[in-house]
Amino acid sequence: MQPYLATLKEARYITGDVKVLSVEINDPVAREAFKYAPGQFAFVSAFGVGESAVTFVSVPHRPGPLEFAIRRVGTVSAALHELDVGATLGVRGPYGNRFPLEDYRGKDILIIGGGIGMAPLRPVINYLLDHHDQYGNLTIINGARSPQDLAFAEEFETWAKAPRTRLELTVDRGDDVWKGRVALVPAVVEELKPSPANCVTITCGPPIMIRFVLQSLKKLGFADSQIVTTLEAKMKCGIGKCARCNVGEKYVCQDGPVFTFDQIATFLEGF
Amino acid sequence: MSLSTSSPRTESARRTGQGSVLTKDGLKVWLGRLLESHRVIAPAVEDGVLFFQPVSRPQDVVLEGKTAISPKGWVHPQTEVLFRVERRDGATALESPEEPPQQVLFGVRPCDARGIKHIDKVMLAEPSDGLYARRRERTALVGLACSQAWPECFCTSLGLAPDDASDVDVMLTLAGDIFLARAVTEKGKALLELAPLEDAPAGEPAVAQLAKFPTDGLAPAMKANFDSKYWAAVADRCIHCNICTFVCADCYCFDVRDAHVGGTVERLRCWDSCQAYGFTRIAGGYERRATKGERMRQRFAHKLLYYPEQFGEPLCTGCGRCVVACPVNIDIREIIQDVLKMGVKSATARAE
Repeated sequence: MQPYLATLKEARYITGDVKVLSVEINDPVAREAFKYAPGQFAFVSAFGVGESAVTFVSVPHRPGPLEFAIRRVGTVSAALHELDVGATLGVRGPYGNRFPLEDYRGKDILIIGGGIGMAPLRPVINYLLDHHDQYGNLTIINGARSPQDLAFAEEFETWAKAPRTRLELTVDRGDDVWKGRVALVPAVVEELKPSPANCVTITCGPPIMIRFVLQSLKKLGFADSQIVTTLEAKMKCGIGKCARCNVGEKYVCQDGPVFTFDQIATFLEGF
Repeated sequence: MSLSTSSPRTESARRTGQGSVLTKDGLKVWLGRLLESHRVIAPAVEDGVLFFQPVSRPQDVVLEGKTAISPKGWVHPQTEVLFRVERRDGATALESPEEPPQQVLFGVRPCDARGIKHIDKVMLAEPSDGLYARRRERTALVGLACSQAWPECFCTSLGLAPDDASDVDVMLTLAGDIFLARAVTEKGKALLELAPLEDAPAGEPAVAQLAKFPTDGLAPAMKANFDSKYWAAVADRCIHCNICTFVCADCYCFDVRDAHVGGTVERLRCWDSCQAYGFTRIAGGYERRATKGERMRQRFAHKLLYYPEQFGEPLCTGCGRCVVACPVNIDIREIIQDVLKMGVKSATARAE
């Protein structure tokens, strides 16, 4: 459970309270050996404060530092936000399973993200865009409380212009300059009426959004097995030992965090 | 294979005596020899309470009685340093903790030994916890069969026995006023080489007799009654003191946190409890198990359903310490029997 020492290379706000940290593992051998996949996560340490489990937002197959999108919500995330570029932090991982993207080849993909829930979806989107000839149409619904809370805005243009890709942005409340949609994410799903035929939906967001998105998708005829999500749970080890992240008999750290809803339906415990 | 008198086995037997019994004086001699090369952790009285603790003199070891808590903390410490963060000349380095000592846990009851085995299964499962593995590697268990049972004991109901030697390196069994000593593992054999074993005629082994209640079908019954209102009802009187999980011979949940000690940061691993509010609270404040009933259910579901599904047996060895310690008399024996009763009832209900 000892992390690699790493250096903060760059830190930039992507919303009012979300900062993307670009991190490089100091030891070149460990850096080279560190392989991860979309959906996996790492523990990021602010030494003296603690460590938290955070999903990768960097795109594994693209060269570059590891990136984590940290929303300032607790003590560790606040400490990570305070770090100066050049500061030392800790990284250990990767942990957990991943989105089985190769199984989705030939299918249409519907991505539904809310707020910071876009974080694990960002490497998925960029993977799909870089391999678009292997997949069908890509629809991205990205919602947030306000226009300022839409994560990864710097990439919207690229995503929107990509072949056979549709980007739909929506906010709960607009402002003076917002000309886009003002609607809740589930309402957008129902308006767009994506066809469940040969389609996989990957969704992540606040539990309340997920609940209503599920209802909307079911109305449209999606089966639980076609809907994939990634669960968030408090965890301390990432390797199935601290006995904290289990939802019923499943350990989010090792059995997940990526699950289909037909798997989740069999969990004894709610999450 | 030759049975020549020069075989190593016979050599060692001659050196330590041919026998397999230890007098009480012989036991002290053995403890004295163990103390020369090992840290010896044994039951000893401190402020009137019997605890596993490091001893420096054989006469301090108390082998009658039951310790207030199991010796699990000597392999899975209540608090341990995972690493220290050293900052020198502007550079950060992580320093590993000192290597654990060679230690003997002496006088470990079969239930507590099984508890350690249960923790082993989790901590040594791939990817193995390196720190735990190194400590465990350097730990030997000298078991002590129970010649008496305490009112809270129910190990036999969970398939153990008061003289169960399957999880120790050496087994001691009281017989009259001497101990029968048996090496169970290679590690144990090496330890017993230091013992002045004798041939003295042994008395009848004293092994406790316990009443037994049935526990068959417990995991399916737990599953069948997972959504029962029973859990909230049992939890009503819980004052979430968490003591059940701390005195448990099996509970191993832990927290990881940073502490400032002098000018140094230490990353600590500490025991934690699934009974505490906030145990599953994520950043932003959402607590998945917000009610006492859900947390109570987690304790018993982990012990009687999830762990058995993972490793084939309950995460409970019937030591009964949680029963003794609980200030509001929540009794795992009653819960097991209630769940079994409900399990039968729900099955009948479904059949009708």
